[in-house]
This record gives sequence, C-alpha cells and structure tokens, in this order.
Amino acid sequence: MLNSIRPKNRVIFAYLLIPVAIYVFAVFVPLVTAGYYSFFEWQGGPNKSFIGIENFKTLMNDEIFWMSFQHNIFLVIACIIGQIGLALLFVLMINSKLVKFKGIHRTFGFFPSTIAAVAIGFIWTMVFDYRRGILNWILEFIGQEEHTKVWLNEPDLVMLLIAIPLIWQFIGYFMIILLSAISSIDKSIIEVSEIDGANAVQRAIYIIIPLIKNTLLVCVTLCVAGNMKAFDHIFVMTTGGPGNASMVMALYGYKVSFMQQNMGYGSAISIGIFVLSLLVIGAFQLVTKVLSSDKEVV
Amino acid sequence: MKTIQTKLLAIFLNVTLGIFSLSCIFPLVWMFYSSLKQKRDFNANIMGLPENPSFENYVRILTNADYHIFESVLNSVRTTVLSIVLIIFLGFIVGYILSRVRFRGNRILYVMFLMGLLIPIHSLLVPIYVVFRATNLGNKWFTLIIPYVAFGLPIAIFLVEGYVKSIPVSLEEAANIDGSSFTSTLFRIILPICKPILVTIGIIQTFATWNEFSFALVLIRDQRLQTVPLAMTQFTGQFSSDYTKIMAAMLITMSPIIVFYFVFSKQIIKGMVAGAIKG
Amino acid sequence: MKKKLVSVFMVVFLITALFAGCGQTDDTTDTSTEDTSTDDTSTQDTSTEDTSTDDTSTEENGAYTGELSLMHFSTSEESEGNGGSDGFRTMVTEWDEANPDITLVQNVLANDDYKTQIATLAAADDLPDVFLLQGMNTRAWAEQGLVMDMTEIINSSPYNDQYDHSFFFPFTYNDSIYGLPVLTGGTTTVVVYDQAIWQEAGYDTFPETWDEVMEADAFFEEQGMDTIAFGNSGKWQANSCFLSAVGNRFTGNDWFYSMVDKSGAAFTDQEFVDSLQFTQDIFTSGVFNPDFNAINNEDARELFIAGDASAFIGGNWDVSYIQSVLEGTEMYDTTKFAVIPQPAGADATTRTHAIGMGFAVAINSKLADNPEKLAAAIDLAYKVTGPDFAEYVGANYALGGLTKVDNVDLSNFDQFTVDFYNYSYVDNKACEIYDSYISSAVWDVLNTDLQMMLNGDIDPQTVAENAQASYEANY
Repeated sequence: MLNSIRPKNRVIFAYLLIPVAIYVFAVFVPLVTAGYYSFFEWQGGPNKSFIGIENFKTLMNDEIFWMSFQHNIFLVIACIIGQIGLALLFVLMINSKLVKFKGIHRTFGFFPSTIAAVAIGFIWTMVFDYRRGILNWILEFIGQEEHTKVWLNEPDLVMLLIAIPLIWQFIGYFMIILLSAISSIDKSIIEVSEIDGANAVQRAIYIIIPLIKNTLLVCVTLCVAGNMKAFDHIFVMTTGGPGNASMVMALYGYKVSFMQQNMGYGSAISIGIFVLSLLVIGAFQLVTKVLSSDKEVV
Repeated sequence: MKTIQTKLLAIFLNVTLGIFSLSCIFPLVWMFYSSLKQKRDFNANIMGLPENPSFENYVRILTNADYHIFESVLNSVRTTVLSIVLIIFLGFIVGYILSRVRFRGNRILYVMFLMGLLIPIHSLLVPIYVVFRATNLGNKWFTLIIPYVAFGLPIAIFLVEGYVKSIPVSLEEAANIDGSSFTSTLFRIILPICKPILVTIGIIQTFATWNEFSFALVLIRDQRLQTVPLAMTQFTGQFSSDYTKIMAAMLITMSPIIVFYFVFSKQIIKGMVAGAIKG
Repeated sequence: MKKKLVSVFMVVFLITALFAGCGQTDDTTDTSTEDTSTDDTSTQDTSTEDTSTDDTSTEENGAYTGELSLMHFSTSEESEGNGGSDGFRTMVTEWDEANPDITLVQNVLANDDYKTQIATLAAADDLPDVFLLQGMNTRAWAEQGLVMDMTEIINSSPYNDQYDHSFFFPFTYNDSIYGLPVLTGGTTTVVVYDQAIWQEAGYDTFPETWDEVMEADAFFEEQGMDTIAFGNSGKWQANSCFLSAVGNRFTGNDWFYSMVDKSGAAFTDQEFVDSLQFTQDIFTSGVFNPDFNAINNEDARELFIAGDASAFIGGNWDVSYIQSVLEGTEMYDTTKFAVIPQPAGADATTRTHAIGMGFAVAINSKLADNPEKLAAAIDLAYKVTGPDFAEYVGANYALGGLTKVDNVDLSNFDQFTVDFYNYSYVDNKACEIYDSYISSAVWDVLNTDLQMMLNGDIDPQTVAENAQASYEANY
C-alpha cells in the first residue's frame, strides 16, 4: 500500500482496539489460563499442585493421544478432498449453463450446515443402524445381505463412516464461500475466454481456480482448523468408540477433563492440540506456497 | 453428436446435484413427519411415514410453561443478532487492515487471530468460566455476546482478508487521489464491494451462534436467560429420550432461522452473487 | 414496496427482541420461585405432610431469609418416566412453599449436562449451595474440601434411625460422610424376560445358569429372535448393568470393599480377571443381539418390547419405561424378572444383584460460614431424603428411598410392580454398584477397554492391567 494512502498509526490503533480487546479477553486470556493449568496436577477444586512439565511428558508417551492425532489427520485429508473438493465441483457445476434450479441447489445444499451437530449425528447414526438403517436396507435390497454389519462397531471402518456425515454437512458451507468468491470474478474475463474457445473444464482449471486462490487457501485453513478440533459428531455417534477406534483429540481432552476429572492433564492435551494444529496449518500453507507460483501481495 | 453429448452431460449434472440437494433437505422433512409421531411408533418404524399423524407433541411443548420456549427464542434472537452485527462490522475492519496495511505487529495479530480457530472449545470451558466469574460478567443478558463475537471474529477476518486481496489496489489509490480519507474509502468504496463475503459471513455465523451450546451451558445459570440449545436440555431425561418430542422442539426453535433463511434466500443469493468488480 | 414492508417488519421484530432482553433484570433473586410453582404437583398435601416436620423446620428457617441455590437433574421430562425424580421434584416444591421467606434458586439440567456443569463448577470452586454428588466423585471432592462433612448432620437428623445406613457407603471417605443419599435405590442389574416365550423354550422361569441360557439360544435363533437384548453404546452399561453383578459372583463382596478401601485387592486379581473372561466369552457367543455396542439401553429395551428379543438386561430405569409402555398389553402379564444367571466357575456368591443409590444431596463446604443458611440447606436435605419422600415414592411407585418406611402397602399395586419390588428388595441379595465408588478416571479407562473386549479385540488380562494402572495413578 502506498504511503500516501496508509492511515496514521493512531487511526489503525483506534480501529483495532475494540475487536482485539474483546478477542484477548474472551479467547486469549482463557487460553493462557488453560496453558497455566497444564503445569499442574489438578483434579478440580481449589487445590492444585505444581508439577512442571510432567503432564507434557505424559502426553508425549500417551498412545491414545497420538492415535487420536492420526484420526484427526485422516479427517483433515478426507475433508479437504470431500468438503472443499466436492464443494468446488458442485459450485462449478451449478454455474454451468446446463443446470437448472440453481437457486434450489444453493439453498438446499447449505441447509445441513445450519442444523446442530447433535441432529446430524443422530440422523447418520440411524443411517448406519444395524436393524433399521438405510445402508443395510440398501444392501439387502441389492442382494448383498452378507455384507450387512453393525457399522459403527467396526473399529477399522468407523473413522471412514464418521467422515461421511462430516463431509456431507459442510459441503454446502464451503459452497457458499466459494460461490461468493467466484461471483466476484469479472464476467468479462470469462466471456473472453469463451470466445477464445476454452471449454468449461479449461475455464475452470486455468481461469477460475487461480482467481479464487486466496479464498481457497482460506477454506483449506478453515477446514484443517475445524477438523483438528472435531468433536460434536463423534461425540454423538460413537463417543470415540468402539473402545478408542474413533477417538479424536478434542474428545480425548474432554474425556480426560470432565469424565476422568483430570483437569491439569486435560489442559495439557488442549495445548497439545493447539500446537499440533499450528504445525499442521503451517505445513499446509508452506506446501501451497511452494506449489503455487504467485507471490503474496501485502 | 455434440448435442447428445451435451444432453447426457446435462442429465448427469442435474441428477447428481439433484440427489445431493435432496439428501440435504431430507433430514428436515424426516424430522417434521417424525415429530408427528408418538415415541412408540417412531421407535417401531424410524423411516416410515406416520400412521396417525398428530400435532400432539407440539401442543404439549408449547403449552408447558416449564419449557419457556418463547423466552429462550427471544434470548437467542437477541444474542445472535447483536453478535452477528458486531462480527461483521469488526471483522470487516480488522480483515481489511490486516490485508492491506503494513504495520508492526501485522503478522503477530494475524497469528493471534488464527489461534482462535484452533482451540477446541471444551478446553476453554473452565478457564472462561473462571475469567467471567472474576470479572462478574457471567450470567447476564449480554454475557454470551462476548465469546461469540470473540470466536466468530477469526473466520470473518480471514474471509475478508482473502477477499480483499483480490481487489486491485488501484481502487483505493484512485479514491485517495480524489481526496477521500481512509475511513471514507473504507466504508464508502470497499465495504459495498465486500458485500458478498460479508453476507456469507453473516449467514455462516448466524447459524453457528444460534446453535452454540457449550459456552451457554457454562456461562448462563439463570433459566430465564437460557438460549435455545440450552432450553432444549429440558427434553432429555437421564435415561429416556423422547426423540419425537425432541424433534418437535428442535423444529419449533429452528423455525425462526429456517423461515428467515428460506424467505430471504433469494436476496441472500443475490447479495452474494452480485458485486462483480469492474477492472 | 414489498421489500420495504419486509425490512420494516424485520426492524420492528429486532427491536422488540432487543428490548425484551434488556427488560430482564440480571438480578437473580426473583427468578425461579415461579419456575417451581408452575409444576402441577399436589399442593394440597403440603399442609398435612408438613406437620411431621413442622417443629424442626419453622424454628430453624425462621432465622434465614435470602437465597439458596440448588442444582439437580430431575427435569420434568425425566420425572415422567422416573418415580424417584418425580418424588424429588415434589419434595422440593413442598419445601419451597413451606419456606416462603427463602428464595430457592434452582438450576435443573439433563443428567449428562448436569455432570459437565457440576464438574466445571467444582473445578472453578464455585459449586451451588446444595447439589447432587455422585459416589465416584466423593473422595476427590472431599479431599479438595469442596463438600461439607455431613456426619454430624446425619447423626442429628430426626430420621436417623430410619435411614438404611448401607446406602451411605459410597459417600463415605475417611470415616466421614459427605452426602445424604437421594432419589431411589434401585437395582442396576435385572433380567427382564417374557415368561410365555421362555416356557416354549422349555423353561418355566429364567434359567439359573448361563449354560442353560446357551441351550435356549438355539431355540430362539430358529424363531428369528435374539435371546437377550443389551445396549452398551454409552460404555457404562456393561459395567453398571452386567459386570457389577457378574464380578461379584466371582470375587465376593470383600474383594470390592478392599478395592474401595485400598487394602490390598487389585483389578488383576485372578477372580476379577475370570469375571472379565467370562464376560468376554458370553458377549462373543452370540447370545446377545449383534449390535450391542452400537445401540444404547433405550434401543435395546425396545427390542424386548417389540418381541425381537426374549429377554433384556438393564436397570430399574429401564423397568420403569417398560412398565409404562407394556401396561395393559398381554405381554405385561407375562413379563417377569430374574437375577443374572450364575456363570460357570463362579462360586463366591449367588443370586446377587447390584443395588444402591448413585447420588447424594451434598452441601457446599462454604456454607459453614453462614449458620442460618446452612440450617436451611440441612432442612432441605432432610426433606428430600426423609420419610415424606419415601412415603411418596412408596405409595405411588413402590420404590424405596433412603428412609425406610414400614408397611409399604403393596396391595394397591399390580403384579408387575409387586414382582419388581420383591425382586429388588426381598428375594435376592444385594451387592455394590461398581461405579458408585472409586473414581471416574478408573471407570472411564475400564469402560472403554470393556467395549473393545466385548468385541474380542483386547484380552481380559490387558483390560485388568490397564484398569489397575489407572487405579494406582488416580485413586
């Protein structure tokens, strides 16, 4: 930004004051407090005993925690492909001239993300239900009865099964974001490319996607962040089960803090989640920077 | 030849999207006709249509003063509206500044706001309770607005920031030459251009705020200040969940939002799709 | 034009909503007295009931005027299926009306949310004045000094000699008692079965050994039914509704008391591991419904009700529900109760079932600074656990509370209720419910492992070792 346009420092300060203050108060201070708690052995109540980094040493050796981390990474990858990938695909499809009822698709598609996770979890638990669920019903219908299972009790499949409602619910969410990004592309650019003979796929790959790259990056960041702290669906559908087969980090932190009454260690877990999320997002941003040839404009 | 190809493509696209959209609206339909059943009929046949549909669940809920539904809806409306207004307004300003203005601490602020996205909510329940109690801000009519705005800001900021990056700087330069101050450029020129993304943020955050549960549980003790998700906890006993009643309640409490969403969807979409930038 | 109308409407709506909120005082004093009075509980009874407690209450409470905060999980929805909750709410309402100078502020949440909230409050050292304490938290919170030592309060209670003192055990720590057991003492391990169907399988009453159950399983499989329905998706059910009794059959009572006292027993003791082994074997044998780990007890009992399973294992809360659903049907008359059959190789006890009271009324230790307020809290505690409560649930539900009342008139109740009463309190021997004791950390580890063990994915020895490790670290 040219220096002549740039506002004076005190103007910037004035604008940033209130939002930053609210944020620090409601997010930062509790976060630091949680960090503080993680250095204590604390079962809840007024007595804590300082144990330094003991909690973190335990954390490094905690099998369940690292297994949960793997599950989270699985969700991140599944959701980047599923949520963002499919959202992008659907948005491009909706923009096509061949598709009717565009308004309905946009409106309906977003709807699942307006429903509370509890309802979503309940609905999909029903879909996977052994006796009454749609999945087994379809399998019986097409004569594959021997493949019917108690789906949510299969340790090897359960993460995949949980990813499905997660993806399904948020496709619409990312659709809306990408839609508004695509809509801001100058129509004339697209028209020119049509005149030049580019077909739909070429337009998508060479023109649209590069132009919404920044928004896509933001979407990836949101997706990663959201899935590193995934909680609600899993809590409702399996509570991490069977055993720990679908345990994720945030749920593990909750279990330790509230179900095992071990708040000190639970806080350490939260710090762990936080640090790992930063690392994963940082890694993603690095990768995308390397892959893309654009420089960032600051 | 080309027309057959095109036709097949058209069918494929429409069918795929059609299936997807239907699957998205089906839960609403299912919840509605299930709420017309009684608990036993529902348990006997989860997917089927009700044999004796009745509005009994709705009547019972709406006439039971214990559930204080209307009060909780008003609480939720008030909290959500105020939170959204603040999130959009503040998010826009901060997002723009972080995106355009170079100043010391820009990166630090960016990372700081990023952190808000990464923290699992449950780990903050106890600390936030302690903080609010120490400052005596808990259990008031405006209590929840604070964390909702604070946690809603990061998404708003990042979306605005990404969006603003694709606005050519020449716009602001031209305005500056014309004598416009920073503030005036910000609100008179940039703000209208950002309308699509701001509308998007508004929609996303409306639902997130309305459905939020954990903070409400921890920070609100007074039953009269409960928001909708909290009031719904009355419906689940320790060992019995009347799903049909829960669904009726969910629909009642979701109806302001659903009505709002579908009635204004045209305007909303228009708002999002409009605003192409002329280069 | 239309657009303008809509925007005007919206603005009006929003402003009304804003002012509706602003109009509320954040002054919490005048809130919940209205909440309690909307309950359509029997207000006529208060005058007659109160005479028995009259002398003590008016004297003590005359001095205190102010707020008293109470937190519990007996929502009105809960009370519809649960006699204990109904009784609790009724008693609270009566007490509230008998003490007009005291403002009772109630915070009522559903059970799961209650547990989260109370744990948060305990962690922040901000518990309400009176609340419900879960057995497994007693030791931890007593050590923290959060809950008041109620030993003296209990000893000086007017109903002390009527209390069933065996119920105090989960709330005792270092010889001090920290709560008055509340709600109803019910069994957590009962077999509910359809006698008619089992007679077809060749059994007049439910088999006494598991070997016989396995034989009958073949018969039921031909009929296309599950033999026993069970739901463990919450992970606690296998512990509360099955292992508590089965474990006892292998280990006997002393083992568990030793675990509670930390006097030498361990999860890795052979008898307990044997009980785990048996549990794994029976759940992998096919006697139960295949989806037992994916559905909860509510779904499982529906299987029994619908006739898809010939029997069901659960707790007294399930029986209340089954009763309310089956009443008036044919199946109602043929539904009977039995103890969990004896596992082969178990010889410590027989015919035991787990029964107890999982929650107690506890008082925030900070009330020691305010004797008048404390007196009011004590009075409330006496009321909800005393003879008024016991008579109410006895007369209406044939259930028992902390206070023993003689001459429970069973003639008013139908065969089903009488049978269940006899099952719970007369015919069989009691043993302790595991998760009323020790600590939630330990049970969480054990329950999670149990779920895997029931699938055959982990062996009992490892389960015992993990539980023991958690026990040593956390208890």
